[in-house]
Formats: sequence, structure tokens, C-alpha cells
Amino acid sequence: MTPAPTAKSSMLPTYLQVAPLTVVLLLFFIVPVALVVVVSFFRYQMLVGIVPDLTVKNYVDLLSNPTTWTLYRSTLKFTLIVLAITFVLGFWIAYFLVFHVRNLLTAIGLFLVCTVPFWTSNIIRMISWRPVLGKEGLINSALLKTGAIDQPLDWLLYSDFSVVVAYVHLFTLFMIVPIFNSMARIDRSLLEAAVDAGASRWGVIWNVVLPLSKTGIALGALFVVTLVMGDFFVVTVMSGGLSGSATSGIFNDLQFLNYPRAAANAVILLIIVLMIAAAIFRLVDVRKELVR
Amino acid sequence: MSASPSYGPRPWTFYVLAALFTLFVIFLYGPMIAVLILSFQGPTASLVFPLREPSLMWFDELFNPRRTGDVVGAFNRSLPLALGVMLLTVLISVTAGFAFRRRFKGATAIFYTAIASLIVPGLVLSIGILVTFRYLGWSATWYTSGLGAHLSWALPFGLLIMFAVLGRLSPSYEEAAYDLGASRWQTVKEVVVPIVFPGMIAVALFGFTLSYDEFPRSWLTVGSKNTLPLEIWTMTTNVTSPALYALGTVTTIVSFLVIAIALSSIILIQRKRSRGK
Amino acid sequence: MKKTLLNKTISRRSVLKGGAAIAGATAVTGFPMVWAQALKDITLNHTGMSYSTLPDIAKQASTDLGFKVEMSVVDHPGLLNRLVQDPKSLDVADLEIWQSKVAVPQGALQAVEIAKIKNWGELTPLYTEGTFAGKEVSRQGDSPFEFLYREAADTNGFATGKTDFANFVPGVYNADTLGIRPDLVGREVNSWADLISPDFKGKTAIQNIPTNGIMDAMMACEAAGLLKYGDKGNPTQEELSATIAKLIELKKGGHFRALWNTFDESVNLMASGEVVIQSMWSPAVTAVQTQGIKCTYQPLKEGYRGWGNGLGLLAHLEGLKRDAAYEYLNWYNSGWVGGFIAKQGYYSANPKTAMAALTENERGFFYEGKAATADITSPTGEKTNSAGDKRDGGSYEERFAQVAVWNNLMDQAEFLYAKWNEFNAA
Repeated sequence: MTPAPTAKSSMLPTYLQVAPLTVVLLLFFIVPVALVVVVSFFRYQMLVGIVPDLTVKNYVDLLSNPTTWTLYRSTLKFTLIVLAITFVLGFWIAYFLVFHVRNLLTAIGLFLVCTVPFWTSNIIRMISWRPVLGKEGLINSALLKTGAIDQPLDWLLYSDFSVVVAYVHLFTLFMIVPIFNSMARIDRSLLEAAVDAGASRWGVIWNVVLPLSKTGIALGALFVVTLVMGDFFVVTVMSGGLSGSATSGIFNDLQFLNYPRAAANAVILLIIVLMIAAAIFRLVDVRKELVR
Repeated sequence: MSASPSYGPRPWTFYVLAALFTLFVIFLYGPMIAVLILSFQGPTASLVFPLREPSLMWFDELFNPRRTGDVVGAFNRSLPLALGVMLLTVLISVTAGFAFRRRFKGATAIFYTAIASLIVPGLVLSIGILVTFRYLGWSATWYTSGLGAHLSWALPFGLLIMFAVLGRLSPSYEEAAYDLGASRWQTVKEVVVPIVFPGMIAVALFGFTLSYDEFPRSWLTVGSKNTLPLEIWTMTTNVTSPALYALGTVTTIVSFLVIAIALSSIILIQRKRSRGK
Repeated sequence: MKKTLLNKTISRRSVLKGGAAIAGATAVTGFPMVWAQALKDITLNHTGMSYSTLPDIAKQASTDLGFKVEMSVVDHPGLLNRLVQDPKSLDVADLEIWQSKVAVPQGALQAVEIAKIKNWGELTPLYTEGTFAGKEVSRQGDSPFEFLYREAADTNGFATGKTDFANFVPGVYNADTLGIRPDLVGREVNSWADLISPDFKGKTAIQNIPTNGIMDAMMACEAAGLLKYGDKGNPTQEELSATIAKLIELKKGGHFRALWNTFDESVNLMASGEVVIQSMWSPAVTAVQTQGIKCTYQPLKEGYRGWGNGLGLLAHLEGLKRDAAYEYLNWYNSGWVGGFIAKQGYYSANPKTAMAALTENERGFFYEGKAATADITSPTGEKTNSAGDKRDGGSYEERFAQVAVWNNLMDQAEFLYAKWNEFNAA
């Protein structure tokens, strides 16, 4: 970001300004996560509780159990599919809002129209897909009536399809916002220059718009990955319990207070997500782009 | 191509994209319209179409809970919590954003910590905060541990938005103000704040939305009284959907109203700005 | 000197809902109010799961007792987590018997002095003696009797016989079975094996709560002759692996339409006809019936899966709050609650007063296995059964004489959870 003008000699105001953030992060992120890591090395004895003997048993158990890997594979599969779809949707919708809508107020209005659903609880929005996708639901009834099919489609609900639909429904906005923000900063004269230089419509997008929206895309990807990998109820409810996810494993362990194993599983999940985030940051140095 | 000044006939791509946008909006709102219709179900509460015996009974159920759980009570916690998170997020993110305009020791560390706080799965943090509070001997409540959990989620978002917004703020405006003799505080008030104000609104909106609808991080940290998302979750373990659908309808209407208010205030501010000075 | 007020209150409660029927009147008589003035500022928090922690009960308790009772609803893991990590946030815990297995050894609950529970003698022997109708109740699984008593006031464990101290006061209980859509199922269903019968491929569901779901699965496998178990309440690792393997095989073959986690999902699955046979809880059956859809809680020849709840006092209660809690515990089994929850198919630990709180029609229907003489309604007033209907499974006695196994937290629970994860992931 732009540096502060006329350098003042005292750094005190700066430290004071960043202090509240630091305190909150310390108390509500660093300490809790540290505790989780510590607990993951404890032992759990059923009916007794957590026994503070340091052991790596939890990690060994989890990492050597093929189910763990199956669950992570399943979660990653969903993450990639949802990422791809939300990227395509997010990019083109942001593009439409920034470059095709002429009136700023209209753009903001349309943007807000996309936001309104987010104030209805995620859970309600998710279960509202049931009367639409179910065997007696809207889509099936419509298809049956028009004679397109003669048996209701059962893969619309309680399947991978319904999980992906729900994820896209819930998380596309998180892709739209950062991309919208990046695109809005693109200097229009660059586009004009490209057109003048003879670039086709597609060429302008590929060579100018896309690279300049890198930051927004990276942030959007980060948000979506985080949300999908950290989710436990969308996948359980929409798949009808037929699919598990990394977090549903943690949730199961919490059912009977096996904190150490849940903690170990959580640490593994955190590491994987951090690795993905690091990879995204490798591709796009978000900090540099933002703090210009 | 949209690169040309915005006059003249629209290219064919406009129509394609407009169609895509419309489809997306239908996709977003479709199920909610289904919910809207179904919330008028009669007492033979069918969860699917067709609508039988339309009635307002499920709306009544919301406000006079029998089986359905304490929606009004939960709302009376979610709303102040979201407002609190919104205010704190604006205050903390904005000031922190300003701090980041300079290089200071620990800036990178704090930045990546904030990002990590965003990434950490909500469930994990929830456990962590509960255990932290237990070791400190404090009880978990929605206005302490719950508030903190929500902030750990909203602050990084706010920070990132402020980065983007302050990045567009050219220092030349502030330097011009100093040259004209303005004090530091005056500069902030008269020059910086008006320019970053839309960004602050965005931070406020995000802060509110993220808190109001937050579930995984709230799961264990709100104490004995549930926030609205948690109450809804426990309702699904006990109750059938039409009450939930009624709730969805009410919430959507409230959202529309708030958006309308927000939009009109933006228009008013813009108008005042162009008129004034 | 204690001041006692004999307070006779008769309250009439009527429910009018969109023209539906009126619920019965209840009477709470002869309820002594100790320290009435002192207690009136107390607020008691009753935390439990959604099927038993109903706001109407709190409302009635607050009215009858003079102090405030409030309900907090959580999910299964939420309750245990709260008990252990945040005990001050609740006063009375409404937990399942198997959950006490985890909570009590960790010191979460204090001893209940049986002498202070006035109607203890009337409470069902299912809990207090481990017998029913003179015969010993199945010990497969975690039966209530095995966990009810503790050795002494300050120990945190389970006594093998009767003592003067309890870990909790008996609460609601029931015997679970499978729910079916008699209009869609196409043939007679009378065995647990029908859950896994290929006749219903793609139209079944099982509950996704591992401790419950595995029981249903074991009942089904045993009934179908596929597997043999030593003690279904405490299976070995081999037995569990074999059962899960069978479940995975069925899942891959498309046998299950869905697995449900919440009450709402189970009702939805049955009401929409997506499934015709599934694990189900009694109030879910009632909920489907209120939609005018035929749903039967089908008695099966191998017996039922029993479960029970208890109300425990948190370890931190003392003084006036503890007195209030005892008042509440006494009130809970004094009739009103029994009558109320009977209408969603649950039984009260005090059958005598519960039956007294019901109308003759309801008593006949819910407890005595007789045909209804008029419409039967749910606790919230919607109609569930018509005149002439008989309750599925017959009378109270018939039902509990056939409990084959109890809900439990088995010794191999950790193994079970890992295996169940496999089932989810497959």
C-alpha cells in the first residue's frame, strides 16, 4: 500500500495502532492453537479423560490409518471441483460487474443483490435445496411433467452432486468479492492501449485482465479452499451422510471427548491447509501486491 | 469491448454475461424462493411441494416457541454480537491497516498470523478457545469467548480489505493537506476518512455478515446460550423444517431491508459529497 | 426451622392450534414448596438434547415451582463437552445413560441423595431394580440399572447393587425400533433383517450416530443370520469389523439412500418417501404422522433397542441452588412431564403419575395398548392418530418386556468410531 506521507520520527503511534489486532490474534488464535498442538501430544483414556503423557500415538494412528487418507482425498476432491467452478463463475460475474455495467450505482446494487442471501443462515440455505433436488422435489417434478424422464433422478440429492451444488451456492461470493476488488483497480487506459495495439477481445482478457486480477483470484482461492476444507456440516447433510470429510472425522472424535486425537487430526488439517495457502502465496505474492 | 468509453452499442459479450449473471442470481435465490413459498405451509407440515392449506402458523411458531427452540432469544444474542463484531472489526482493522502503511518490526509476522487465523478450520479454533478459557478459569459466554472467536475470523477479512483500500490512497492528498497547514488529525478527518469510507463500509458489512452467520467457531465457544446459527443447528436435531423455512424468510426480508438502508445511505453520502465542499 | 407451605395448584392447560384438538388438563397437587420465598430468585439451567429438552417443560416447571427453569439445547457431543469443559454453565444435565459412563468418572456430577427424592419408590424398576414385570431386563448394552447407583456420596463410579446414592434421577426412556411407510413398503415387515433386505435397496436409511447406528446394524445382521454376536452391547473388534464390512458392502451397492444425523433429516426422508424403512426415533414417527402420512413404528420379532435418560446434578451445585434442583427433580417425575412426553411416544420414569396425567383415551392408547376412542394429538396439539388406531407395539408392558439390547458406549468405542469413519468414507 502507499507509504505514509512525511515520515514522522516516532513509531509509537504505529505500534499502538497495530496493538489491538495483535492482542486479539494472540488471545484468540495463537494461544488456542498452541494449546491444541500441545493437547494433540497427550493421551486419551476413555472414562478417565486426558492424560498428559507425551506421546505421538495419535499422529501415528491417524497417519497410518487409510481412512484418514480416504477422507482427505474426498475433501480435496471437493475442494478442487468447487474451486474450479467458483473461479469460473466468480471471474465472469466480477468481470461483468466491473466492465459491462456502466452505472456505478447499478453495479453496487447488483453486487448487493448477490450478498443478501448471505444473511440467511447457511444451514437454512443448505436445507432449502432439499425440496428442490429431492425425488419429489421441484426439479424432478418439472422433468417428470414434461416427460423428459420417467423415473425421478436420485443422484440430484444425497450425492456428490448435491454437495458441490451446496458449496458453490454458499461460497461463490467469497470468490466474487476479491476478484471484483482487483478488477476495479485496473486502469482502463491499459485496456484501451491493448485494443489499440490490436489485441482481440479474448487477447485483452488473457493478457491484461487476468494477470492484473491475480491478487483477487489468489485471495478468492484462499477463501474457498479454507471454507471447503474446514467444513463439516455441508458435506454431511448434503451427501446424506454418505460422504465423510476431514473435519467430520474430528467431529466424531469430539463426540466422546477424545480431545487428543481430535487435536492431532486438527493439526494435520491445519498443516495441509497452510501448505495449500503457501503454494497460493508462492504463485502470487499477496503481501507485495497489496502493500505496494 | 468494454475498454472503449461507455457509450455506444453493447457488444454481444454483454448479453452472454448478462445471461450468466441472471442465471447465477436465479441459482442463488431459487432455493430461497422455494423456502419462501414453503414457509406458508399449513399445519400438515409437509416439507416438500405442493403447498397445502396455506397459513401463517409457522411464523407464529417462531415467536412463540413450542418445539422449535428459542429463536427470538438466540436472535437477541446474535444481533448485538454481530453489531459488536462489526464495530470492533472496523476500529481494529482500520487502525491496523494504517499501521501497515509503514514498515515496522514484526509487520510480516503479524500479517501472516492474521492470514493463518483466517485459514485455521473453525472447529479447531473452537476447541482451542474453549480449552484456553478453561485453563484461565473463565466461563465461555457469547460476549467474551464467542466475541473473540468471531473477531479471529472477521479481523483478517477486514485487514485484507483495508489493505486493498489504503493501497489506492495516494499520499499526495495528505501531503497537499499538510502543505495547506492542516494538522494530522484534521487531515485524517477531512481527507483520509472520506476517501476510505466506502472501504470502511465494506469492512463493516463483512464483519457483520461473517459474525451473524458464523457457525463452526461458535460451536463450543458461546457458552450455554446459543447464537442464532447454533440454535438453528440444534433445531434441525429436533424440529421439522417449515419453522426453519419461516425463519429463513424472515431473515431474508430483514436482510433486504438492511441492504436498502445501506444503499440509500451510500446514495445520500455521495450526493452530499458532490454537493458540499 | 423450615417453613413448609402445602400448595395445591391445579393448572389447566389448553392448546389451540389452527383448529386442532385440545390437549388434556393436568393437575399438580400436594406439592410442598420449601423455602418458597428464598428460591424464587433462582434460575436453574437444564441442558440436554433436543428430544427431551423441551421449552414447554421449562415453562410449566417455572409456573409450578415458583423459580425460573430454563432449557439449553445442545447436540450429543456438545453436552459432553459442556459437562467437562464448562460445567458452571449448567445445573441439571439431561444425559443418556451411556453418556454418564463418561461424565461420572470425570467427576462432573454429584451424588443424588435418594432419600431426598420423594417418589423414588414409584419409579420404574427398569432403572431402580434392573427388572421389568418381575423379570430381569436384558443386560446387553448399558442398561440403566448398572449405572444408576454409586457407592457413596463422594465416590465417582458405578455400584453393582442398590445403594443410597444415585448418579442421576431416572428421566425419559423408550424402546426404539425401525420406522416404516406401510403404504409404500409393499410387504409385511417383522424383522430387523428387513433393514438390510435387498427388497428395499436404495430406499433405506440408518442413523449416522455411530453408537446408535451400529446397534441397528448389529440387530439387522444377527436377524438375517449373517453374523453372530456374543454380547451386542459390548462387541469385540472382530465383530465390529465384520459388521462395518457388511455395511460398507451395502453402501457400495447403493442400499442406503442416506444416513441421517438429525431428527429433521429422518422426518424428511420418511415423509417425502425417499426411504420406506429406516432407523427412527419415536418423535420423528409422530412428526411424520402429523403430516397426515402413514408411518408405523414397527415392532419386530427380535425385540427393541432400549435407551434411557437421566437427570444429573452438576458437581458445583450447593446451597439454595441445590435445593431448587432437588425440587425440580421431584417435580419432573410427578406427573405433568410424564403426560406431556407420552404424546411423543416416550415414557416417564414414574408411570403411575404419568398415567394419571393423561386422559383415559390417551392412557389407553399410549400405555395400555388399547384402541383410541378419539383422535390422539401430539404434545403441540396436532393430530397424529385417529379413533380406532392402536399404538404400534402394543402396551407399555409388551414393549419393555422385549428390549433386546440397550444403547451403550462400548469398550471398543474408539475402535468403533474409527471404523464408522471408514464407513462414512467408503
